[in-house]
Amino acid sequence: MTDIVAGAPARSGRSGFLAVLVVLGAAGCVLPFVVQSALILTLMTQATINAVLATGVGFLLRQNGTVSFGHAAFFGLSAYATALLVKFGFPAEVAIVMAVVLPTLFALALGVVIVRITGVAFSMLTLAVAQAFHELFLKWRELANGDDGMAIAFPARVFGLDMAIFQQPASMFLVCWVALIAVILGLWLLARSRFGTLTLAIRENEERARYIGYRTVLPRAIIYAISAAVCALGGLLFALYNGFVSPGTLHWSLSGEALIMAIIGGPRLIWGPALGGVIFFFIKNAAGDFTDHWPAVIGVIVILVTVLMPRGVGGVLVWLGRRRNGGRGE
Amino acid sequence: MSASAYAIEGVDMTRRFGGFAALDGVSLAVPHGEIRGLIGPNGAGKSTLMDVLSGRAQTWSGRVMMDGRDISGMGAVERRRAGLARSFQRTNIFPDLTIDEQIRLAAATAERDNSDEVMAELGLADLAHRRAADVSYGDQRRLDLALALVGRPKVLLLDEPAAGLSMQESMVLAGILRDLAGRWGVTVLLVEHDMEVIFSICSRVTVLHLGKILADGTPDEIRRIPEVVTAYLGSSVE
Repeated sequence: MTDIVAGAPARSGRSGFLAVLVVLGAAGCVLPFVVQSALILTLMTQATINAVLATGVGFLLRQNGTVSFGHAAFFGLSAYATALLVKFGFPAEVAIVMAVVLPTLFALALGVVIVRITGVAFSMLTLAVAQAFHELFLKWRELANGDDGMAIAFPARVFGLDMAIFQQPASMFLVCWVALIAVILGLWLLARSRFGTLTLAIRENEERARYIGYRTVLPRAIIYAISAAVCALGGLLFALYNGFVSPGTLHWSLSGEALIMAIIGGPRLIWGPALGGVIFFFIKNAAGDFTDHWPAVIGVIVILVTVLMPRGVGGVLVWLGRRRNGGRGE
Repeated sequence: MSASAYAIEGVDMTRRFGGFAALDGVSLAVPHGEIRGLIGPNGAGKSTLMDVLSGRAQTWSGRVMMDGRDISGMGAVERRRAGLARSFQRTNIFPDLTIDEQIRLAAATAERDNSDEVMAELGLADLAHRRAADVSYGDQRRLDLALALVGRPKVLLLDEPAAGLSMQESMVLAGILRDLAGRWGVTVLLVEHDMEVIFSICSRVTVLHLGKILADGTPDEIRRIPEVVTAYLGSSVE
C-alpha cells in the first residue's frame, strides 16, 4: 500500500489547483439547472456522497499511510446519531451538528489508542470496531429497529430552510457538491500546512520524526479523527437525503468500497478519492444494469488500475496535465 | 555557565540482550565542546551506547546526564528538545519531503531556527526544493547530518555519518563537522569506522570492545596501545 501513496505529493501549483477547484465548483452548481433528469440528478447526488466518504478514507491513507477497513463506522454512526437524536426529541439542528461532532470525538479517542499499531493489525482493528457497531445496531432492535433500519422524522424546516431542499435531488446535489468542494479545499490547505508536512514526515519515518523532537501519536490520531469527520459528513448528507438509516451504512463492505474508490482515484491526491468515488458509483450502476455480478467488473477495474495506474486515475490526469503544461501541480 | 564540566555523561550503563551484555557497566563523560571518537569492532556496543544515550534503548540500567542534569527518564523527544540530537547508521531522512521542508520542520522544535544557515553550511541550499529521495547518496548523508545539526544542539551523537561515502566525501564531511562544532560549541560523540575521519577531527578517542571500554586517550595515545591495535586498528595505522 505504501507504493500507492509514495512519491512527492505535488505541493506546488497552488494557483492552478485553486483555479480548477473554482471551475469544478461552479460547474457543479450549474449542473442541476442543465440536467433535467431526476434519475441522473439522484445518481449524481449519491455519487457525490460516495465521493465525500472516499475522500475521508483517502486522506487517512495519504497522510498516515494506513489502511482503514472500518471508516463506514463513522459514516453510519453519523447517520444513526442524526436519527436517534431526532427520535429522542433533540432539535434537528443539534442532531445535525452532533452527527459530525460525536463520531469525530469518538475517532479521536479511538485514534489515540489504535494509531500506535501499524500495518495489517491496524486495518484489522478498524474492521473489528466498525463491525462491532454494525452488530450493535443490527441486534439492538429496541434502540434502532435492527435490520429494518430507522426512518428519520425530520421537521419541516431545519436551520430555517425547507427540509425539502435536502431531499430533492437537484437542490441536494448542490448541497453535497458544495460540501465536497469545501472538504477538498479544507484538506488541501491542511495538507499544505506545517501540521500536514509533519504528518507526512511521520508517515515517512516515524522514528526520525521523534528524533527531530516531535511526538507522533497525537498528530496521527488527529488525522484519523479528521478523516472520520469527513466520513461522518458523508453519513450526515446520506441521512438528510434519504431520511433513513440501516445497519448497512456501518458494514465492512461499505468501508471496502470506500477504500476501492480511493485506490481507483489515487489517494496520493487530496481529490483523487473523490474522483474514484464518482467513477466507482457510475461503473457500479452501469454494470449493475447488465449483470448481477457487477462486483466482478469492479474487481477487474481495481486490478487494472493498480497494475497499470498505481497512482490511480487522478495520478494519470496529473501526469497528463504536467506533460501538457511542462509544470507541476495537483 | 555550565552546571557540569561534562556536556554528556553516561554512568555505569548496562544493556543486555538475553545473556549477552552489549554494554557492560560502561561509563563515559565528554567535556563541553569536545569531539570524542568512539571506535571498536562490530558488536563492540557502539550503537547500543548511542541508543542508551539518545533514549532509543528501552531497557537498560545506569544513568545518563546532560550538563549535570539526569535525563535517564526522558524519552527521545524530550532529549531532543533538551538539546541532544543524533543521527543513525543508516540514512534516516524523510524521502518524500523536500530538503527545505524537512529541515524547517526539524528547526521548529528547536529554540533557534537556523535552517538557512545549516543548509548553506552543508551545501544543501541549492537543493532545498528537491525531494530528498531524488538527491544523491552523499547529499542524503549531509541532509541526515543537517537534521541533527539544525537548531544548534548542545550534544550531537553521530553514528557513522561517513558510511558509504568516498574518502574525499568523508574528509569534506569531517571538515564541515569540525568547523561547525568548533564555531557553534557543539559537543560531539562520533562513532565511525573510517579512522582517517576519527583521527583527523577527534581530540580524544574511546575504544569499546565486547561491551566494555578497552582504552581512552588522544589519537596518538590510542595508536600506540597494543591491545587496541590488536583488537581493532590492525597494522594499517601504524
